[in-house]
Amino acid sequence: MSLAEAAFVLLALVAVVTALAALLVRELVHTIMWVAIFFVDLALIYFLLNATFLGVLQLGVYAGAVTVLLLFGIMVTRKRIFSREAATGLGAGPVALALLAFLFVLTAVGELPQGESVPIAYAPAALSAALFSTYGPWVLLLGLTMLTSVSGAIYLVREGRE
Amino acid sequence: MTAGLSEFGFLALSAALLAVGLFGVLTRRNFVLLLIAIEIAMNAAILNFVYFAGFAPTAASGLDGQATAVVLIGFAATEVAVGLAIVLALNRARGSINVAEATELKL
Repeated sequence: MSLAEAAFVLLALVAVVTALAALLVRELVHTIMWVAIFFVDLALIYFLLNATFLGVLQLGVYAGAVTVLLLFGIMVTRKRIFSREAATGLGAGPVALALLAFLFVLTAVGELPQGESVPIAYAPAALSAALFSTYGPWVLLLGLTMLTSVSGAIYLVREGRE
Repeated sequence: MTAGLSEFGFLALSAALLAVGLFGVLTRRNFVLLLIAIEIAMNAAILNFVYFAGFAPTAASGLDGQATAVVLIGFAATEVAVGLAIVLALNRARGSINVAEATELKL
């Protein structure tokens, strides 16, 4: 097992465990901590894949902005920040359904031809140049969607709307 | 440096993350936890885009996957912003962000 492979296995385990912990712990503040570790962990996986631009984007957008937004959402909706969530049952049905989905995808993956080809590394400069030429319309669409959603969000939280 | 990272590992990881997200969406009652579960499932999809971007035949088409991942990350951030606006509106109208109690369409 190569060093990169061992690092990936470790990071993958941490990703699954922190994702589960984020959904299962009772204190919502601890949830935010776990989910922040999850996002940083995924950024490390992107760095492992030589996708530097995406790793940095993941750190900035997810580990930075989304985490703070979620923390803000928890902060304004409860009086005591460390109060515990009422226990929600696991439910046999949802657990079985999630396991079934996992096993279904996993068996489908097993049917695929297993390649060991080496991923090509891209320079961040090439990606950012392409984002403003070839993928310009996408970026424009993303910007317009963000503008619309921010207007929508402001409308939703406005005081005294009809 | 990326030699030897098998497809199976990545696909298994994203399948596992998708299952965790699905489980969270189905069982959690808190709106913020629902948003987190959706983000986890979305990250599983983005991971696949990033991984398979490396296998493209030409360098030009190889950027497709990474550009898609960039746009997806942007959309996910947008979704969280709108989701939290709904959380705030729900909290103001109901005094709780339990989705089981939000049974009326108009806040």
